[in-house]
Amino acid sequence: MTGNRFKKGGQQEIVGFVLIVVLVVVGLMVFLVISLKDSPVNDDSVVVSNVLNVIMKYTTGCAIIYEPDYDSFEDLFKSCYLGDRCGNLGVSACDYLNESLSDVLGDLMASDASVGFYELDFSVDGEEAIMSISSGECVGSVSAAQRKIVSGSDTLAIRMKFCEG
Amino acid sequence: MVAKNFVFLGDRLQVTGYRVKNGQMKIQQMAVMIVAVFFFFILVGLFFLGVVFKDVKGSAGDLQREQAISSMSVIADISELNYDSSWSMSVDEDKLRIMSGDFGKNYDLFWPVASIGVYKVYPRFDEIKKCPGVGCNYYEIYDNGQSDVKTYSSYVSICERIRESGSTYDDCEIGKLVVGVRSLTEEMGNR
Repeated sequence: MTGNRFKKGGQQEIVGFVLIVVLVVVGLMVFLVISLKDSPVNDDSVVVSNVLNVIMKYTTGCAIIYEPDYDSFEDLFKSCYLGDRCGNLGVSACDYLNESLSDVLGDLMASDASVGFYELDFSVDGEEAIMSISSGECVGSVSAAQRKIVSGSDTLAIRMKFCEG
Repeated sequence: MVAKNFVFLGDRLQVTGYRVKNGQMKIQQMAVMIVAVFFFFILVGLFFLGVVFKDVKGSAGDLQREQAISSMSVIADISELNYDSSWSMSVDEDKLRIMSGDFGKNYDLFWPVASIGVYKVYPRFDEIKKCPGVGCNYYEIYDNGQSDVKTYSSYVSICERIRESGSTYDDCEIGKLVVGVRSLTEEMGNR
């Protein structure tokens, strides 16, 4: 009789303890999900902005009208938007931009071990991206920066995003 | 006649010694449970604090990097290195050639840092070749020889004006400015 009562009491305590543990684990899971989802995106990163500025000034091998009037990447974005061709290479400015920018970004990011993912989007007046170059897998903190270029009455936006883990 | 260790409770006979042992057992169980729950919540708290302060550490690191880049822009933008006063973070390759040679020794007392170097990042290279030299990719502007130096780096444009087919153009490459910051501990030791 008393043995059964002790057994029941012990079982109740175990159930109570298990309930507390389950509640705490559920709470922790919710906290983890929220904290992982809300990884802050730094939209105006000085580091990314610095990389973007340096890339924009890089002199490419594409001359639209005559050599040696070579386009920088900034000029090449405008030439691509206007549908120009690289006169000295005989390819479209957009093709050359895509190829050479992928090459530059790949080499730059390979020299920086902390960057696991990069993405560069080229869009006009806030519409869908005309061109997008990305590589890697986004894990860790996200930093981004945007650069706007005026071409006639339109505004070209180049947005770059890094994930550092 | 009832034995010494037995007592009537209502109409039931109870063993008093057993009750005492049972009570002690219950107190011990409760104490163990309280200690276990206490440690459990401490562990949960530590985990929570660890996750919260991880973000704080990350933010502090980001702020430090951004501050370092801002400080490096001051060095890149001084007239002895800067390519065009309207361009920030761009250095003149001709000035780098001069400053990394014998002329640069005149500036040894001018620099507020332990070391300054600029190397080309794109096109990619396999080994560092110090300038001057054929196919060189690293300009050492200044180095005070200090060993315990903390280095910071930032991307810069390395530009030069090139004359080709009767016209000139700006040829810019991508490089990295590496600045070594003086270690206060070593400086204090030298004094």
